Amino acid sequence: MRHLLALLTICLVSPARAEVVDVVKGHILPGYARLAEATRALSAATQETCDTDDLAPAYHAAFDAWMAVQHLHLGPVEDEGRSLAIAFWPDPKGSGRRAQAALLTGDPAQLAPEAFAGQSVAARGLMGLERLLWPEAPLPADACPLIRATASDLATLAAEVHKGWTGGFADLLLTAGEPGNTRFLSKAEVQQALLTIVVSDLEHLRDQRLGRPLGSFDRPTPERAEARASGRSQRNIVLALQAQRDMVLHLSPEAAKTLAALDHAISLAKALPDPVLAATADPSGRLKVEILQQAVEQARMVALEELGAALGVGLGFNAKDGD
Amino acid sequence: MATRRAFLAGLAAFSLPAPSWADVGSPSFLAAGKLGEGFVLHGLSVTGASTFSIPLPARGHAAAAHPTRPLAVAFARRPGTFALALNCQTGDVLHELAPPDGRQFNGHGVFSADGTLLYTSEVVAETSQGRIGLWATDGFRRVGEWASGGIGPHDLKRLVDGRLVVANGGIATDPQDRTNLNIDSMRPNISLLSPEGRIDAQAELPPDFRQNSIRHLALGPDGRIAFAMQWEGDMAEAVPLLGLWTPGNDPVLCPPRQEDAFRMKGYAGSIAMAADGTVALTSPRGGVVLLHDTLGTPLATHPRADACGVAAMGEAFLLSDGSGALWDCTAETLRLLKDSGPSWDNHIVAIT
Repeated sequence: MRHLLALLTICLVSPARAEVVDVVKGHILPGYARLAEATRALSAATQETCDTDDLAPAYHAAFDAWMAVQHLHLGPVEDEGRSLAIAFWPDPKGSGRRAQAALLTGDPAQLAPEAFAGQSVAARGLMGLERLLWPEAPLPADACPLIRATASDLATLAAEVHKGWTGGFADLLLTAGEPGNTRFLSKAEVQQALLTIVVSDLEHLRDQRLGRPLGSFDRPTPERAEARASGRSQRNIVLALQAQRDMVLHLSPEAAKTLAALDHAISLAKALPDPVLAATADPSGRLKVEILQQAVEQARMVALEELGAALGVGLGFNAKDGD
Repeated sequence: MATRRAFLAGLAAFSLPAPSWADVGSPSFLAAGKLGEGFVLHGLSVTGASTFSIPLPARGHAAAAHPTRPLAVAFARRPGTFALALNCQTGDVLHELAPPDGRQFNGHGVFSADGTLLYTSEVVAETSQGRIGLWATDGFRRVGEWASGGIGPHDLKRLVDGRLVVANGGIATDPQDRTNLNIDSMRPNISLLSPEGRIDAQAELPPDFRQNSIRHLALGPDGRIAFAMQWEGDMAEAVPLLGLWTPGNDPVLCPPRQEDAFRMKGYAGSIAMAADGTVALTSPRGGVVLLHDTLGTPLATHPRADACGVAAMGEAFLLSDGSGALWDCTAETLRLLKDSGPSWDNHIVAIT
C-alpha cells in the first residue's frame, strides 16, 4: 500500500514541477544560504584584521560561494543592481578603481552602511575587495576602513538576496501558473527562465571569462582575465562550470549529453597551465584556452538542444532573435 | 502577383462603400505572432481582445496599417525579398510587393496620412545604402524612391505634418546572410525627410556611441522623437539605449540607472511614447521593460521575460511577449490583460 501511494505521488507530481522544486531547493536556496554565511564570515574576519594573508581564506570562501550562484540572473539578485554590486566585472574603463580612490581619501561618513550602499556598484563587492587586498599600486590611504565597509555591504547584499528568495521569490517559481501569480504565468515560463540561465551563463563564460583574456591572436589580452590579482581566474572558470553542472543535475538529471559536455569542459579548465590565464599570450597556452572555449560553446549547444527537448521549452521567441 | 481569386476578393472588399477598420472590429493595433507552427496577424483592442485574426504565410517582421481601410502590409524578415498587402477582413493576399532589382526591404514601412502611398525602408543590397521606397497603394505600384540619408535604415515613422523620420541603423549587412560588415566604422543617424524626400535634418551620435545602432522610433505628442538603440560594441560598457531628438537640436542620450545598466543586455527591441510623454523601452534579451519620464529619466523597471512589442495606449502602454501574454503597462504596474495568445512577435503597430 505504501508503495502504491508512493507511486501515485510520483505520478501526481508532474516531472516539470519536480525539476523546478529540485533546482530551487537543491541548488538555488542552499547556494544563497552558503553565500550569506560565507560573506558574513568574511565581514566578521575584517573586524579582526585587514591583513591580506589573514583575510585570503575567508575572501576565497566568499568568492567560491558566489561562483556557485553567480549564474542565477533572476529575481532578488537582479533587483537594485545587487548582482553588479556583489561582483562588478568586467570593468574596462576602471570605474571601480576611480570610485574607490575617492572613497579612500574622502569623507569617512561615506563608509557608513547606508551611505556605502548608495556608492557606485563598480566600487563595491568582491572585485572592490580584491583591489584593496591585492592592490596593483600602493593605495593612497589606509584601506582598512574601506575593506570593512565593503565586506559588511557585501554580507548585507548576500543576506538580502537570500531573504528575497526564502521570503517570496522561491514561492513564485513553485506556484507558477496558479491564480494571482503574474510573475510566472505557467510552469513553462519558469523552465524557460532556468534554461535561459544555463545557456546565458555559458555564453558569458565563452565571451567574457575566456574571451576577454584571449583577445585576438595578434593582440592577446591576458591582463583582462577575471580576478587576476587574487589569482582566481582559472578557479572561477572551473567553479562556474561546476555550478552549471550542479544546476543541470537538478534541472534534468537525465541530460547525459549535457553533463558529459560540461564534464569535458571542467577537465579542460582544470588542466589549464596557469591560474590567471597568462598563457593566452603564447601560442601553445592560447590553444588550450581556445580549446576550452570551444568545449564551452559545445556544452552550450548541447544544453540548449537536450535540456530544451527535456523541458519542452526553448529560448524566448523574441529574445533569441535579433531585429 | 495577385491571383484571380485575390483580385476578385479585392474587388469585393474594396467596392463601394469602402470598408473600414470598423468592419474588422475597430482594432487599435496590429500584432503578428506564431501560433503552433503557423503565423497569424491579429487586430487588437485596447483591452487586448482580438478583433480579427488572419493567417500569415511566414513569420513577418513588422506590419504597416492603412490609415482607414482594413489593409495591412506585412514585411518579410530581413533580407526582405517580399512584402504582402493583406485584406484584414478575408485574409486574402491582395498584392505581393517585390523590391526592385538590387533592393531589399529592411523591416518596416508606413502609409501616408491619406493612404495613397506606402513608404518602405530598403537597402541597396550590395552596399546597404538606405532607400525609402514609394508605392502607390492603388495596385501597389512602385512609383519612386528616395535616399534614406544613411546606411541600413530600419524603422520609419510619419509625422503629423507628412514628414518622415528614419532610423538609419548604420550597419552594413551581407546581402545573403545578414552578417554585419562594418561594426568598426558604423555611423548610425536619424534623419528627417520632407514630404518630397529632401533631408531636412539629421543627427548623429557622439563618437563614443557610434556602435549604437539606431533601430526603432516613437513619436511624442510634443513633436519629439524617441529612438531605441542596439549596442554593437563591448558588452562590458554600459551605454544608453534610449535617445530623444527634437529636430534641429543634438540628440539627447538617456542613460539607465546604474543598477539597471546591463539589464537590457545592450539591446532594445521596441519603443513607444505615451500621451503624457512617458517612454517605454523593451528588451526581450534582458526580459525587462523600462519606463522613463518625458526627459528620459528612468522611472521603473519591470521584469518580464521575452517582452518586446509595445505601443502607446493613452497614458499607458500595451505590451506583448513571446509567451503569448498582453499587458497593460505603466510606471506603477504591469497588469495582465490576456494570456495564452500566440507568441507575439517584435512589434505592436498602432493604427492611426
